[in-house]
Parts: sequence; structure tokens; C-alpha cells
Amino acid sequence: MPEIATVCPYCGCGCGLYLHVRDGRLIGVSPSRSHPVSQGRLCVKGWHAHEVVDNPNRLTHPLVRREGNLVVASWEEAAEVVANGLSKVLESEGPQAIGVLGSARCTNEDNYVLVRFARGTLRTPNIDCSARVQCVPGPAPTSGGPSLGAGAEEIADLDSADLILLVGSDPTEEHPAVAARVYRARQRGARVVAAAARAHPLARLADVHLPVRPGSEVRWLGSLLHLLLAEQGFAADADMPGLSELRASVAGLRPEDTEAATNVPAEALREVARLYLSSKQVVILYSTGLALSTVAGPALQALGSLAALSSRGGGPEVSVLGLLSRNNLQGCRDMGVAPDSLPGYVPLNDDAAVARFEQAWKCEVAREKGLRAWEMLGRVRAMYVVGDDVTRSLPDADAARRALEALDFLVVQDIFMSPAASMADVVLPAAAFAEREGTWTNLERRVQGIRKAVAPPGEAREDWRIVADVSRAMGKPLPYESAKQIFEEIADLASIYAGIAYPPAAVNGGIRWPTPEGRKAGETVAGSGEAEVTALSAEALKGPGARAETNEEYPLLLAADPTLRPWDGEVTVCHTLTSAGEFAVVARDYPDGMLCLNPEDAKRFGVRGGRPARVVSPKGESQMQVRVTEEAPEGIALVPYNQAMHSGLMEISTDPETGRPVLAPTPILVGPVQ
Amino acid sequence: MTARMLPGNKIDEFAVRLMRSAEVVAPRRVGEEDVFYGAIASPDEIAWDYGTAVEPLKRFLLPQREPILRFSTNGRIRVGAEYDEQQRVFLGVRCCDVTGVAVLDAMYGGDTVDPYYMSRRERSTFIALTCQQPEPHCFCVCGDAGPFLEGGYDQQWTALPEGMLVEIGSAAGEALVRDNEDLFAEAEVDQVAARYRLAREAEQKFGEFKSYIAGAMRKLSMNEVAPAVWEQAADRCMECGGCTYLCPTCSCFTVTDRMAGQDGVRERHWDACLYSCYAREASGHNPRPEREDRLRARFFHKISHQWAVRNGRQACVGCGRCVLGCMGWAHTPAVSEGIRRGVMT
Amino acid sequence: MNNPYLPKLATIQKVKVETYDTTTFTLRLDDSGERKAFEYRPGQFVELSVFGAGEAPFCISSSAHGRDDFDLSVRKVGRVTGVLHEMGEGGQVGIRGPLGNCFPFEEVKGKHILFVGGGIGLFPLRPQIQDVYRERAQFASVTVLYGARTPEDLVYQDELEQWQQQEGMTCLLTVDTAADGWSGNVGVVGSLLPKVSIDVSNAVAFVCGPPIMIRFVVQDLSGMGFGDDAIITTLERHMRCGIGKCNHCMIGDKWVCKDGPVFSYREMRAMAEFEE
Ligand SMILES: Cc1cc2nc3c(=O)[nH]c(=O)nc-3n(C[C@H](O)[C@H](O)[C@H](O)COP(=O)(O)OP(=O)(O)OC[C@H]3O[C@@H](n4cnc5c(N)ncnc54)[C@H](O)[C@@H]3O)c2cc1C
Ligand code: SF4
Ligand code: SF4
Repeated sequence: MPEIATVCPYCGCGCGLYLHVRDGRLIGVSPSRSHPVSQGRLCVKGWHAHEVVDNPNRLTHPLVRREGNLVVASWEEAAEVVANGLSKVLESEGPQAIGVLGSARCTNEDNYVLVRFARGTLRTPNIDCSARVQCVPGPAPTSGGPSLGAGAEEIADLDSADLILLVGSDPTEEHPAVAARVYRARQRGARVVAAAARAHPLARLADVHLPVRPGSEVRWLGSLLHLLLAEQGFAADADMPGLSELRASVAGLRPEDTEAATNVPAEALREVARLYLSSKQVVILYSTGLALSTVAGPALQALGSLAALSSRGGGPEVSVLGLLSRNNLQGCRDMGVAPDSLPGYVPLNDDAAVARFEQAWKCEVAREKGLRAWEMLGRVRAMYVVGDDVTRSLPDADAARRALEALDFLVVQDIFMSPAASMADVVLPAAAFAEREGTWTNLERRVQGIRKAVAPPGEAREDWRIVADVSRAMGKPLPYESAKQIFEEIADLASIYAGIAYPPAAVNGGIRWPTPEGRKAGETVAGSGEAEVTALSAEALKGPGARAETNEEYPLLLAADPTLRPWDGEVTVCHTLTSAGEFAVVARDYPDGMLCLNPEDAKRFGVRGGRPARVVSPKGESQMQVRVTEEAPEGIALVPYNQAMHSGLMEISTDPETGRPVLAPTPILVGPVQ
Repeated sequence: MTARMLPGNKIDEFAVRLMRSAEVVAPRRVGEEDVFYGAIASPDEIAWDYGTAVEPLKRFLLPQREPILRFSTNGRIRVGAEYDEQQRVFLGVRCCDVTGVAVLDAMYGGDTVDPYYMSRRERSTFIALTCQQPEPHCFCVCGDAGPFLEGGYDQQWTALPEGMLVEIGSAAGEALVRDNEDLFAEAEVDQVAARYRLAREAEQKFGEFKSYIAGAMRKLSMNEVAPAVWEQAADRCMECGGCTYLCPTCSCFTVTDRMAGQDGVRERHWDACLYSCYAREASGHNPRPEREDRLRARFFHKISHQWAVRNGRQACVGCGRCVLGCMGWAHTPAVSEGIRRGVMT
Repeated sequence: MNNPYLPKLATIQKVKVETYDTTTFTLRLDDSGERKAFEYRPGQFVELSVFGAGEAPFCISSSAHGRDDFDLSVRKVGRVTGVLHEMGEGGQVGIRGPLGNCFPFEEVKGKHILFVGGGIGLFPLRPQIQDVYRERAQFASVTVLYGARTPEDLVYQDELEQWQQQEGMTCLLTVDTAADGWSGNVGVVGSLLPKVSIDVSNAVAFVCGPPIMIRFVVQDLSGMGFGDDAIITTLERHMRCGIGKCNHCMIGDKWVCKDGPVFSYREMRAMAEFEE
């Protein structure tokens, strides 16, 4: 029974685990104790990771739609159909009419080859990944600055922190391996502050819980900055660029005055400021709870300012760690699955760098800025989708589904028949994580090798191989034979991965980029930026605005909570036994949505736990089952984000710059079903 | 005590001879520095100097997933079963893990024998290795399962400078000596004395997680646990299932049917009583809807007097794997302490 | 080795639709030797395999007397029950069991017997009712109280009619919500209890139904003076193996599958969890 060291395929933590194989089948999983992230632990998903691979529901053969039905085809036929379908659109409408989606689940190699396929073979700049909707809009993580996720921060910082600030993050649900470290830090005496509307377990255990009203994230952070700068005499370096603007922007944000808008009691905020100033090492964790806020960008800037002030002003040492949701969301970004850059965050206008890619790829590269995932819908005529599903990630799930249905041609590569795949013209079966080699990059930028333990079912094969086959069928073969070869090309062209030898063994936790060599190789590499502070935007301080205000007609605020059961319904989880145990409850007991209500609100609106309630908003009307829980604050109803996406109840707010859509807090009326 | 001496230079030879007639499962290093019990191809692989293996022996007796029925729906239905009939010697495995098997025996034997388990169990021989340096998470002294055993093994080895002092605990253990008489020497009186001295010394070396389960057991069995303790434990549990999966004696399973064409297989899979759907009935009624209800049920099964009577001993052996594997902070020592003090830290 | 996981094959003899979601299947073991060896008592259950869909526990809902086949009455709620409901006569299934303990019979002779059933809780009671009535002279009196949500949810309608008319037996029905054409009692099944006049000091009550109904009826019975040993129920729990290995049905220090499913109220009180 050999143990095969690899990496968990679920969240961005990237836990090390061992797969057990017998007679060519996966029969179990064990955690790795020596792995720097898992340290001998796995969450429920990791413990069941083998089931996602050895699963009767896997796609095993290429499927082509004929007379409305998906029927089995050979790889040659399928590649031919895909090539023809894409060529037709290319001929009639040009490359701009094709959109390509990469995957936060697939390997770096898959994503890299897909970028080459999109920008080289198809010559379309429209390449993105819909999971990116969960990333804070703003500069790429390489542009420096302590808050933007490419410094030295790592999960292990938690081991020496004396204050941990959870900002819109419930790691017990989203990043269990990180939560494990928070529990241990707390146990050794570190203090914990949780800022989130929901009183999640770590918030209940925290020294201070700030029950932040969704949408007011910038405001309470502004108040904290005000406290530190004005009241607590934070020794800020007066020469710091931007400091006076920041001061001005938070002047007057006395916690007493922001209390009503943020739900954060002034005394609690003062306590946080005191804790902050008496700490030596602070770790700030944020995840989708912040990143999917309507004011995510400015909020993250505020955190960046806080960290910068500290580093220049003799305050505590601060690491800001952005917790990415998926196993390879980081790598997917690194590989240039983005409309505005090439692998390694190479800007499209950097002639010399682009020329290197063109030379290596022996073709011209589409250099214009393309459409983002959410912009593609309704604008492109054909889509090529690898391990991604807009109907599961974009806030208006039904609109996303309609947009897919309206396409002339849709190709989906996946390991299961995902909702997107079931709408496709061609479905191509991919090899799962234990059936192939390659690398993933975790949320601390650990590049880790995954290993092949078993053969793929039927005719499934690696995503990059499928893409290469399609490219060949279009007359442009891509010369790749192995993951190693692809990785070496990546390390050569994308300076951020320079110095990483393949395979970066998972047992050691892989290798974090940038390596010293990588730092030398690229000027664009992370962490080089000066610490900066910026003024808080007046707009963001206001929050989501009038549309999110409760009133007589709609007296309750409905907030979609992305940290609440974030894995429910996820295609790779719902086919495992975790869905019979752990993950089934919400799906089974609350199939139409779990409306979490504070007991007081439940009483006030006359609804009972376990019973359906009628929910009305300015946008629509729906029924959801009520769960009465102290986790929900009074006056705010919480629904898992992935259920809210289908509810048709919520306002959608778009980022002014990137057009990124997120669900905005929406006022509602709740009542019993007649 | 019947004891013999296996000189240091004969250990490998003994292992090689064992390998001729059985699969020898021993601790060995995997990856960087993880130790797993696994089948060895050569005695060189054995990591004699390990602390606790990442996992107990459970996987060898109760795999994480295993077929329990094969059937064919082609025409009239046919059903059949197959058993793992591999002979195995578990060599150099920890006392706590060997004791854990005794609990599994109680649960999978008894008046209704589980044939898949028993087929493996009957073909297993356990050579325990005593622990001279417990690790910080260990508390087998409170689990009555180490660091040295007084029985329950086929053989128990203690590493002495001259070699292994071999205590014989069963006929099977005795047969292994008899069949390899040429390798064994008589044990001297001071070698036996050394074993007892080492045992006493080892008992002094236990760390912070010494769990004092007895106190917790009393309160749990008498239904005297402050309800707040379960609520506090619930906030420290993430329902990962790790404590149950890593536990040498947790053995719940669930069952699924799976078809490939007209051939089907019924498989059982490890399950965990802490999962929210574990006790949920098809009607939607969940007798243990809250995490605190499930934690209470789990600890009742692990360390109540009532179950200790039914299983022949308390189910917790003190291997400490839940301490290492707990995603939160609701492992047995933490919860036992909470039960005793009426509050969790 | 004797393998308790190995099902015996059985064939569906008869399918009788009871209500919109409940059907009674009459099953007969295929092998005549197994048929002879298949001895069961009221209160016991079997694990039924629908091959490919899975296995689920069902109480045997018919008396063993004079029959070499037996009934399972099944409400359609999920995977196994869903596929079973699609099967017709001649369909092949698997049976493990009989499993679990049974209702006391000899021990309660000479007593007033009260059955209280709610919804599909009548399934396990039915064989006991049939057996008790067969030996009616041995018992002081026999009363059946049965309630369902609506008249549409009443199971065994023919038999209920028969019981209502039968000599030596009182059978009262009620529904939570009446519908057109219902002239009987309306209210929860506990509301029928005041209509029962028996000597509770020499009586035993068999109670079966949804957890909430059991809780209230048991309270009422205690109030009427039934002792803790004179109230007997069967419990339902999520079960996988039926033989005390998978542990899904564990309550406190008991397995419902092995130590039950029949328990006295005294035993139930000892099962800590039940008190919540
Ligand atoms: C002693 C006893 C006697 C009973 N007697 C009767 C009776 O006479 N009549 C009657 O109608 N009912 C009876 N029941 C209830 C009956 O057993 C359940 O209704 C039945 O198990 C439902 O099975 P299902 O597969 O149709 O339902 P499902 O809900 O599909 O499954 C039941 C359980 O299986 C699990 N499950 C569901 N999906 C999956 C999956 N994909 N993978 C793994 N597990 C899954 C769930 O955890 C669920 O709790 C009895 C129960 C017990 C314990
Ligand atoms: S914490 Fe994340 S990486 Fe670790 S086991 Fe769980 S899902 Fe996998
Ligand atoms: S290991 Fe810890 S977190 Fe995981 S289920 Fe057990 S008690 Fe809960």
C-alpha cells in the first residue's frame, strides 16, 4: 500500500496529503504531518479527496451534441467538431467573438497552455477565469505594497502573531487549515479580533467581535485608522506619502459617530485599537467575506494603509494575508488567465517581454486587452471553458445560464457533468488531480507538485493535452509532451517562477515564489513596492448607499454571506460522500435557501425555524427555509452566497472600474408563507 | 513473564524470515519525515526510532473504503463476497495501537462477527514495540495502553543496548520464537529488570496532554457534565472528522452501492459521528442536530463507563492522534479537561 | 464464515398501494430453505436491498402466522424507497434479517392492550395487533388508536375498517386536518386517549409514530398512570448495517438496531439523548 504524496484539490490552503492506492484504485487519504500547511491535519474535504477521483459520476468519454443529445464520440471526432465550431466563429465574427475560461482548479500547466491556445492559436484576448470574481479588483499582486498579497506573508506567520484580525473571513468554513493555526495561536495566548456580521465560531471565541454591517467595511476601518492616528497617538511617519490625505479622509470618523452605520460598538473598536497598539506582530486575514463586498477594493486599500502606517510608524509588524478560495486560484492568475496580462503578470504593452513569448510560442500573440469573464457573457458567440462554471460563480447565476444557452458554440472540459457542461455542444473529459502530474500554487504562493496515483477513467486525459489536441486539429499543434516540459517553459518565460525546479515536491510544501533567483530575474516581482498609504474614498466610506437601506416597507437587510457553507453544491464536493455526511445538511434541509435569522427577528416577523418563509425584496420574491440562529445579527438576514445567487432577490453592484459584479446587501421583508 | 532476547544483529534476519510467510507491516518513513505503518520489502525500511505513526493500524483491518458485496443484476440477481486473506505480521508497532485493536475486536467481534474484519484479524500477529520516549501529544498512561503493555500483544519488544527483549504474550507469539529458535537467546535477569526500569522512566516523561481521563469518565458516565462544555467544544470543532479517522478505535462506517453496467459493488466507507448528517433520518428528523449533541455522543462512546463495560475497556487508548489531527481544539485531552473543570480553555 | 452482510434474495409477490406515498410490498424469499429458517416476531425489522440503489431498514408489517411471505410497508422518501416504488411484482430484492428485538407477547397476556399509532407508526404495530387479536381471549381488552395527518394519509384502510367492526376490539381513528367526507375525530392521536377507559394498573401500551408524537403520547400515558415499563415503543434511527457495527443508530449506550428497536419507556428515559 504505497502512499503517494500530493496536494489537496480543494481550498487555497494547499494541504499536503497522501493517497492510498490498491489494485489501481484510490482507497483513502492520510494527512501529512511534515507538510508545512497541513501539519497532520485535513478538513472534511481533504479526508474525502479520493472520492472525487474514484467516482462513478466521472466523465469518461468525449461527448458531442447530436440532435440535441450529448453522445459519445472519439477524441479525433470531438477535436474535429471543436475545431470546426471555433473556426466557424473565427471566420464569421473574428477572434473577439470567442471567450476562453481557465480554471482555479486545474494545474498551472493546463492554464498556461490554455493561455497560449487563446492568445496564440485563437488569437483572442478574451481569457479569464470566473472564480476571479472573488478576487478584490485592483492591481495585480505583483505591483508591490504590503496589502496585495505578494510579500513575504505566509500561513506560518500565525504561529508567532500576538494579534490576529479576521476581516470578513471565517476560516473554519473556508480555510480550515488556516483556522487550525488560529485555534493554536489562540491557545498559546494570541488575541483574536473578528470583524464579520456573522458570529461564526471564531468570532464567538474572539477577544473582540465586531459585528460589521455588510457594506460598511471601509467605514469601520476608517474609524479604526482615525482612532490610531488621532486619538491613540499612533507615531506615524509624517513624511509618508499620502499620509495627510489619509488623515483628512478619516478625520471626524469618531467611532461613536460611525456606530450606527457599521453596527460596531465604539467601545469595541477602541478595544481593538488598544490591542493593536499593544501587539508586536499582527496578522490580518481576509477572504471572500471582504473580497466580495461592494467596497472590497477601498477596504483592502485601507488595510494596506494600516499595515504601511505600522511598518513606517513603529507600530506592530503586520502581515496581510489574502485567503484565496480555490486550490489554484493563485496559479491561475500567475499563469496569465486574465484579459490584461501574459503569464507572470507580464503587461501586454511590454514589447520586449511580449516578444519573448512570441518567440517561444512561434506565433503572434493577441496583445489587446480582452473581456473579463463577466463581460464575455452576452458579448461573445462561442466559449471554450476549462474546469470553470460561470453558473456557479457569477452573482446572477440565472443570467449566466441564459448567456451560456444563447451561445452559438460551447465547449466544456471538466471531470463531472457540471451545470455548464450539461449545456455544452462538446464535453471533454479531463483527468482529475490524482491522475496526472503538474503544479498548483497555494494562497501563500507555494508551487507544489501533484502526482499521478492512478490512471484516468475511460478516455479522460490531462486538460493541457486536450487543449493541445484541439489546437492541432485547428492546424496549430502545440509541442507539449509532459507537465515537466511545460513547467520548465513557464519558469523560463514567467520570471516569477524562475528558479523553481520541477517537480517542486509537495512533501516539503513545494517552493514559494518568488525564489531569490526569481526576484533577481524579474523587476515586476512582488514585494518590491514601497509601503504606501492612501486616502479612503468618500464614496466607499458611504457604503452601498440608499439601495441597501432598510425602510418601513423592507425593514430587514439581506446579506449574501460567502463564508457561509461556501462549498455547498460545488461540483467536486457534491459527488463525494461528504455530501452524504457533512455537506448534505444545508442542501437537504434548506434546498431553497437557508435564511439565517436572529431569534429576535424571527419572532418579530412571525416565522419559525425549519419552516419556509416568504422573502420579498425590491427585486423579487422567493421562499426560503428559516434557520433561527444567534449567528445572525439582529436586523440582518444571512443567506449562503451560493444560494443567494439563485434567489433573484438581491441587488447586484458592479465595480466602477472593472465591472466586477457582486451581490449587494438588499432590504427585504420576511413573513410566514400563507 | 516469559521473555527472550533477540540480539541486535539478528533482528533483520528475524524480519526477513517473517516476510517469507506473511506481509510484514512496520513503521517506515514516507515523504520527508512522516512515519506510516506499511508493508516492507526489506528490514532496512523499518524506522525503529519513531514516535507515533501518522495513522494507527485501523486502515489494515478496516480500510477507508472496501467492498462488502458484489452483485450482478444481469438476469436473476447473484450476490457474493470476498475476503482479504493475507497473513500479516505487524512488527514494531506501538503499544497504544495494539491496544486499539482490542477495542475493534470487541466492536467487530462479539455475538455478530464482522467477517471482513475478522478475516484480516485472524491472520494478524502483533509485535508491539514499547515506548521509551513518549511524544508531547501522547497520553497512553491515561488510556491504560502504554507506554509498556502487560498483555494484549503476541510479542512485545523493548529495545535494549544488546538487542530486543522479547516478551511473549500469546501462542502465536510463542510460535514465532519456536520456529526461529536459532535466533533467540535467553533473557538475563538484569535485562528483564532493565525493561521494568525503562517502563517506570518512560511513565515519568509524559507531557502536557496527560489527560486524566478517569475524572472525565466519571462525570460523563453520571451525566454530570456542564452543558456549556459541549457548547464550548462545539465552537472548537470544525467537523473535519479527523479525530475519528485518526482514532485507533473509531470505526463507524456508511455504505453505498455503485454500478458499472450490470455489475454492482456495495462498499463501506469510514464515516464520522460528528458529521451533521450522520444521524439524520430520511424523514429530515435529526436526533443530534447541533454539533454539541454530536460531540457529546462521541465522547460518551469513547470514554463513558457504560461503553467501557460493553467494549471491555475504555475506547480511548491515549495515542494522541486527535491532538495532532484536530482542525480545531476539541480533541480528547482538551475536552476531558473541559469536562473535569466544567469549562474549556 | 457466516456473513451477516450477505442478503438473501427475495421476490416481490404483491404490490398494494396504501396511500399516495406509501405502498405495501409482499415479499417471499426465493430459497425454500431460507424461507423455512426465516422466523420473526412482531417488532423486528429487515434490511432491504434494492441492488444498485442501496439498503434501508423496514419493519416487518405482517404477522408470521400461516404465511411463508411477509409484508413491508414503505413510504417513498429517498433513493432506496424511490427505486423500490418503481418495482413491480416479480422484482428481485435482497433481505437481511430478521433483525432487532421484538415486542413482548407472552409477558403481556392477561392485560389490557392499548395500541397508539401515528402515521406510518402503524407499520410495526400491525403484526402485533394481528397476533394479539388472534389470541384475543388471552388479553383483557384490545384498543387501537390511530391518527394520521389527513384522511389521505391513513394506511391499511381496509383493515382499519375491519378492526372498527371486529368484535372484542376498539379501534378509534383521528386526523390532524380533516378533508371533505371525513366525519371522524379531528385532532392529534393523543386526543383519543380520554375516550379510553381501561384499568391502567393492568395495561400495557404500544406506541409508535414520529418522535414528536411519541413524546406527547408518552407524557399523556404517564399522566394516565401507565408505568414506565408499561409503555413500549419502537424507535427509528438512521441505520446502515442493522447489526451494531456501523454505529449510526447509537443512542447513549444502546444500539437501536441491536438492543432495540423495541424499548420500554424506562429504557428510553435512560437513553440520555431522548430527554432533549
Ligand atoms: C428499525 C426501522 C424500521 C423502519 N421501518 C420502516 C417502515 O416500515 N416503513 C418505512 O417506510 N420506513 C421505515 N423506516 C425508515 C426507512 O428506513 C427510511 O425511510 C429509509 O431508510 C429511507 O431510505 P431512502 O434511501 O429511500 O432515503 P434517503 O434519504 O435517500 O436515504 C436515507 C439515508 O441515506 C443517506 N443517503 C442519502 N443519499 C445518500 C448518498 N448519495 N450516499 C450515501 N448515503 C446517502 C442519508 O444520510 C439518509 O439519511 C424504518 C427505519 C428503521 C430504522
Ligand atoms: S484546509 Fe483546504 S487544502 Fe486543507 S484539506 Fe481542507 S480543503 Fe484541503
Ligand atoms: S478532529 Fe477536531 S475539528 Fe475535526 S471533527 Fe474531531 S473534534 Fe472536530
